[in-house]
Amino acid sequence: MSSVAGLQSIAPVPTASDFIDVVLNMTMRKTPTVIHKNFKISRIRKFYMRKVKYTQDTFDEKLGRIISEFPILDNLHPFLASLLNVLYDKNHYKLALGQLNTARHLISQVSKDYVRLLKFGDSLYRCKQLKKAALGRMATIMKRQKEPLAYLEQVRQHISRLPAIDPNTRTLLICGYPNVGKSSFVNKITRADVDVQPYAFTTKSLFVGHMDYKYLRWQVIDTPGVLDHPLEEMNTIEMQSITALAHLRSAILYFMDLSEQCGYTIEAQSKLFHSIKPLFLNKPVILVINKIDIVRMSELSPENRAFVDTILADKSVISVEASCYSEEGVMNVRNVACEALLAARVEQKLKGSRINAVANKIHVAMPVKRDDVERKPFIPDAVKDRKKYDKNDPDRRMLERDEEQALDGIDIFRADHRKGYILADDAWKYDIMPEFHNGKNVADFIDPDIEEKLEALEREEEALEAQGFYASDDEDEMLDSDEEEFRDAAEQIRKKKASIKKISQEKNTLQNRPIIPRKKKAVSLEEFTNGMRKVGHDPSKLEKRAKRLMEQHKQAMKAAKAAHAVEDDENDVDMDGDLDMESSAGAGAGAGAGTRSTAVASREPRSARHLAGMATQAQADKATELRKFAQREPARLAKASESDRHVPITRPKWMLAGKRKGGKTQRR
Amino acid sequence: MATRTQFENSSDIGVFAKLTNAYCLTGLSSSSNFHSVFEAELADVIPIIHTTIAGTRIVGRLTAGNRHGLLVPSTTTDQELQHLRNALPPAVAIQRVEERLSALGNVIVCNDYVALVHPDIDRETEEIIADTLKVEVFRQTVANNVLVGSYCALSNQGGLVHPKTPRAELDELSSLLQVPLVAGTVNRGSEVIGAGVVVNDWCAFAGLDTTATEISVIEATFRLQGQTSAAVINEMRDSLIDHYA
Repeated sequence: MSSVAGLQSIAPVPTASDFIDVVLNMTMRKTPTVIHKNFKISRIRKFYMRKVKYTQDTFDEKLGRIISEFPILDNLHPFLASLLNVLYDKNHYKLALGQLNTARHLISQVSKDYVRLLKFGDSLYRCKQLKKAALGRMATIMKRQKEPLAYLEQVRQHISRLPAIDPNTRTLLICGYPNVGKSSFVNKITRADVDVQPYAFTTKSLFVGHMDYKYLRWQVIDTPGVLDHPLEEMNTIEMQSITALAHLRSAILYFMDLSEQCGYTIEAQSKLFHSIKPLFLNKPVILVINKIDIVRMSELSPENRAFVDTILADKSVISVEASCYSEEGVMNVRNVACEALLAARVEQKLKGSRINAVANKIHVAMPVKRDDVERKPFIPDAVKDRKKYDKNDPDRRMLERDEEQALDGIDIFRADHRKGYILADDAWKYDIMPEFHNGKNVADFIDPDIEEKLEALEREEEALEAQGFYASDDEDEMLDSDEEEFRDAAEQIRKKKASIKKISQEKNTLQNRPIIPRKKKAVSLEEFTNGMRKVGHDPSKLEKRAKRLMEQHKQAMKAAKAAHAVEDDENDVDMDGDLDMESSAGAGAGAGAGTRSTAVASREPRSARHLAGMATQAQADKATELRKFAQREPARLAKASESDRHVPITRPKWMLAGKRKGGKTQRR
Repeated sequence: MATRTQFENSSDIGVFAKLTNAYCLTGLSSSSNFHSVFEAELADVIPIIHTTIAGTRIVGRLTAGNRHGLLVPSTTTDQELQHLRNALPPAVAIQRVEERLSALGNVIVCNDYVALVHPDIDRETEEIIADTLKVEVFRQTVANNVLVGSYCALSNQGGLVHPKTPRAELDELSSLLQVPLVAGTVNRGSEVIGAGVVVNDWCAFAGLDTTATEISVIEATFRLQGQTSAAVINEMRDSLIDHYA
């Protein structure tokens, strides 16, 4: 935050002891802390050198920041520079900053020396002592900066409270003897709220207020009162006024109290004007006769009048009268002062080159008539008799914002966008119109002239109907014989074609029908025997067998039925039945096993294939021997076959990892 | 009468609103504050319409229009078009424009009689502008800027243009437009006039950052207080010189 134009905000300046504490603390926190005497000496040296260098760096950085943050007086606006000079004494200020700068150099020198010495430190103890000495000397140097630091802190605080005076803007500067009503005037025309008391030097420093006049922002500076004595004898408070008078390009409002209530005679007041007149050079000067509620210019005695006239002898001085008490003429003073300053500033700017840049902005381009068309503004009559909206009026129009705020945050406000629709019928406003209908975008089919078009179509239709365009003509339906014959033939051809088609399709369906083999077909006995008889066989034997089997089947069925009925009655009999069934099942199983064993026997090879192709027993033995030999290596490596390329783990972790106590790696 | 306002903390109100002698469009916003500023000044005189254009709130930059018509870009949806048609007075024609430079508000500036357009605008668009808005169309630049709509605000009574427009160009433009023209700024020195101020024949709305000097220039230029544009050179000359130079 810049509090004063041209001055940056400055970080607080710590006191000397705080400064040392901060830096040493930082060294402790930011550098390693653990060291052993049996470390290598180079490591020990490096450890302590780091501490020394770090401390020096921190001092350097902190002092550097202070030095760079404080403004350099020569680089400031002359007003600010001399104001700071008046307030803080330029020499003192420079000296303080210079001392800090020297301290910075000294500290870096100390660090350089001790780092050099540390290079020759031969033990932990000696190194530590060197470090201690280095830090101690740095702290001593800082301790000597106690006064400059305290002074700079005071300056910083004072600067941050200086009023924000912009030296380049439009400024009204109010000056005069103490107690002539300067601060009251400032309070009247701005909102500065300067303290007003009935004793001299109530205002001890510069105060700034702002006001608007003629669309512009004006700065009003209230200065402490000035007494009429040589410049060298003036105190700091008066010097602030003089500084502002000397360096600000402003309108000077010299206040005079003709009633002499301020305690200074009119003669003294006019003398002061003449003695500080050199400072008013090239500035509009306004002589403000204040307190006219007590004494007016016209009521002045001739000798006093003569004193005032010496001031007004200079034609450039404008005289105005005002009373801050009765507020008479206050605004007039302000306006006269502003006009005078504005005129002076504009005159000066018109002389410069920058005026060309704004020349177009103070030019209204008026049109040259190019035709006879009149282009009138279009202002509806409703505007003229419209009541001006006033938000404090209880009968004011309810705005959407009022509705929104009336909701009180409980509900979500949704503006009614359809409220203002201008439609033929107000009942249509909230009609829901489909965006899509039957998969088509309704908007694509909107036609504003649809009614007229439809009407036109209907009219055309009527006309056509009237003309008899649609009248059907089925009177002459008589066909001649030729055509009838022709149609007959066509009918026949169609029928023939259809029948051929049908036959062909049926043939295909027969072919494509699923055919069940004769073996699988269910054929009744009667059909079968009839068939046999037809081809000349005698089926009597067959019939007899069938009859016998049928009889047996019937018997079995009957027995089963009976047994079932008995089972329902008694349970003991059931046991026997179960046993029977078990024994028969066992017999069945035995028979099954027997057949299986025979099946296995039948799968045995009929010849010894490993002997196939061998002529003699010797040859067979030789082959066996060769085979065994060939298998020996793969077997040793536990290969499954020739194609087995598996490589087992060559360096098993259990053998190679972990602690090794007795023996060597290979022996484990 | 010129009013200062803001659209959701943005002073570029010309982006979010379009004001003509027959209607006012405002962009949809989360609260009614912006809309109500226009409502307070214009309600019962012209319709003030909440709308989006192509789903965006920058209605001021996407549309161009005057008392006779409204041009919307091709990206406008059918629903938005229907909404605008329902809300606008029947005398105002709406036309969707197939134009590559779719920010019509930036490329067209018009009052009820004349329009300045971007030099690269389509010939068909130019015809549409002339027919729909019933204006004479001129292809022009303002202070070497092709976006005439951004750097210019125009009513039937006056016009405010880019602050760097040279005097000769000001005179030329003024003769084309047949209204008095003034070069100026809005929003504390912003040169995008079209974004900072919306104006019609009897009222104006400027961004909240607009200074007192700028407001008074706007009021004088557009004759909102019944004064003539010459006020800019008469009463305000000294203030303007001191303010700008």
